[in-house]
Amino acid sequence: MAFDYRAFALRKLAAVGPKYLPFADVATEDVPLSRLLRLSLFQVTVGAALVLLVGTLNRVMIVELAVPATLVAGMLALPLLFAPFRTLIGHRSDQHKSALGLRRVPYIWKGTMYQFGGFAIMPFALLVLSGYGEAVDAPRWIGLSSAALAFLLVGAGLHIVQTAGLALATDLVREDDQPKVVGLMYVMLLFGMVLSALIYGALLENYTPGRLIQVIQGTAVLTIGLNLFALWKQEALNRDRAREMDNQRSVPFAEAWNALIAQPGMVRLMVLIALGTFGFGMADVLLEPYGGQALGFSVAETTRLTALFATGTLIGFAIASRVLSGPADAVSIGRVGALVGVPGFAAIILASFGGGALVFLAGVLATGLGAGLFGHATLTATIRAAPENRIGLALGTWGAVQATAAGIGVALAGITRDIIVQMPLLGGLSTAAPYNYVFAIEIAFLILAILLAIPKGGRTVQET
Amino acid sequence: MSDDPDKVWPTGLTLREAEEVHSYLIDGTRVFGAIAVLAHILVAVSTPWLG
Repeated sequence: MAFDYRAFALRKLAAVGPKYLPFADVATEDVPLSRLLRLSLFQVTVGAALVLLVGTLNRVMIVELAVPATLVAGMLALPLLFAPFRTLIGHRSDQHKSALGLRRVPYIWKGTMYQFGGFAIMPFALLVLSGYGEAVDAPRWIGLSSAALAFLLVGAGLHIVQTAGLALATDLVREDDQPKVVGLMYVMLLFGMVLSALIYGALLENYTPGRLIQVIQGTAVLTIGLNLFALWKQEALNRDRAREMDNQRSVPFAEAWNALIAQPGMVRLMVLIALGTFGFGMADVLLEPYGGQALGFSVAETTRLTALFATGTLIGFAIASRVLSGPADAVSIGRVGALVGVPGFAAIILASFGGGALVFLAGVLATGLGAGLFGHATLTATIRAAPENRIGLALGTWGAVQATAAGIGVALAGITRDIIVQMPLLGGLSTAAPYNYVFAIEIAFLILAILLAIPKGGRTVQET
Repeated sequence: MSDDPDKVWPTGLTLREAEEVHSYLIDGTRVFGAIAVLAHILVAVSTPWLG
């Protein structure tokens, strides 16, 4: 009897196969920390993309490429347009039908592709936009539309990756471990932003067009590499779930959305997130120039301000992770975060009225701490308040509210300051005055958030 | 394993599963292909080659 080669090979390959496929064989109950750390790498790429867009390219486009500032602001606002669609992405991933039983991984992969694609064409689009080389004679619309497309792709990609990635991380762990995962994800985002800011700063010190291409395309390759590494074997090949998906009635977006906002306290939580994020977010772009112009800090010293703010935020994440693993109510921890922020901003304002550098530094640390506590606690509250099988939708809504509020906050902070500088009656007083108006607005928003977060009988967010 | 007519060689996936994996490959090829074409056009606009 002849040896059945086909059956033999089939058996061997069937045994080997799953080892080389990008999904795990079984969904284990206990997910080791190394696997979560690996998954959290997607946040590093999101952080790098954010820094490149908001920080690095903002400067490079204006200073080195001589693109008009209003056009730059418009281009950088494009990714923000995609933020509301995060709710839709989250919902789609909740409802995703896959023969492999996958839910989040296909979306993270798609998002990664868009992010990569945007970065791949971005340097050339920017060079064409700035009229580099022969592009001077090219029609204007080529540069404009391709740069807009590049920014849109990166924005869409990072919003999709972050929404589906956070949902996947939440899926992977048990409920009482979720606060720790939220903390880990936030820390990795911060880590990615700080690290990439340092690296971009060093790499683009001596700007050349070639260097710009290298840096942006390097980011593209790094994005796809890190995300592939992060995704590998995270979601199980699950035939039972695939069958369930097949039999499930697909819920339309409107229905899921109405069910979500009908949750007691959900609308209030989202308004709270918008107010708080807006309040803390306005300071992002103003702390450094305020330290430089109003308090006479050097450039190196103002950079250290950001490090101090980040340190405060890290402490905030750590405290929130620990406290929220216990029985603490997430919304009240968020309120504490906003409460810490108010005296923080007050100290920052006081510093320009003779309070001195020490008061200012304490204020920066306190606002960082408050921002960390607030961000962590409100995200945890969102996850806890999410109905079952609607984690993606809830996280998408959180992301849409948070990203929009932060983006508008950053934009309005600059605009408000510039308007007050233009008004001689108000701004002629001192260099610190325009900044202090913005900081006062932040305090007002945080106080609104605190008032909103005070539990009223029967209106607290249900935590199940 | 080899008795199931639905499983395709050599991965042991069913036909539908294999088609889904394939669809990711196709999508990826399309997206990356379009990106590459666009990037080439943009480079050609700023620094033309071959003429």
